[in-house]
Amino acid sequence: MESNEASAALDEAEASRAALAGRIATPPWFFTSMGAAIAVQIGTTAAGASDVTVWLLVAGVTVLAAVAGIQLARFRRLNGVWLGGFASRVVFGTGTVASVSYAAALGGAIWAAYGSRWWLVGLFSLAGGGAYALSGRRWLRTYRSEPADHARGESVAWLAALGVMAAAGLALLLINS
Amino acid sequence: MAELDEHVVAPARLKLMTTLTAVSEAEFATVRDALEVSDSVLSKHLSALEEVDYVKRRKGLHRGRRTTWISLTPHGRKALSAHVGALRELINGID
Repeated sequence: MESNEASAALDEAEASRAALAGRIATPPWFFTSMGAAIAVQIGTTAAGASDVTVWLLVAGVTVLAAVAGIQLARFRRLNGVWLGGFASRVVFGTGTVASVSYAAALGGAIWAAYGSRWWLVGLFSLAGGGAYALSGRRWLRTYRSEPADHARGESVAWLAALGVMAAAGLALLLINS
Repeated sequence: MAELDEHVVAPARLKLMTTLTAVSEAEFATVRDALEVSDSVLSKHLSALEEVDYVKRRKGLHRGRRTTWISLTPHGRKALSAHVGALRELINGID
């Protein structure tokens, strides 16, 4: 194979990959619904934790799980692909910005709820949901510029371990309530 | 100089495997449209790459219809990386 043939083959292959990555889109209202679900989950967790109302905690987690599941199914249906990086970074929030902003917003909302500052709980919840959605948009831009580096997310085993830990935390809350 | 991989040296196969690095898994028609090839051409290349464990296929559903989902194997990913490295050496004229 000649150098120019190799170069042409590589360019064509990379262009095809870039074209596929460029065509990947989110379903309508994707980021709005994910941001809203996160905001609801933060708000209900803060309210539920402050007066130990378990049904509020469970309701928030259920809403988030339902929205995440539906949106992932819509994404797969729309694009005809499964993108592990998208599922873990954008939907499950394992990216640095999403996880740090979520933790900060949740901490702030719980603190505000213990002081019965409900307007502040709402503010932290909205800020958390907004930051989550924005970090997802940012990830998508990064993915489109370097698809091969960002296509894969955390392993299924790692996500399963996170799910088990979350379920265990919820079970502990239920037992202690 | 690193050697080119005989299973990936055909431009269509290089394009197929490189395109698959953009996703974890893709539905058959999505890949076919991305590569702008016919069903039979894609199937032929997939069979050849499946034989050497570079790609894997599984039956699944898409939009309520039975279809095939395609992904790179870890072995295929390594082979592609080595092949691309060899191509780059060739392009840069490294002996």
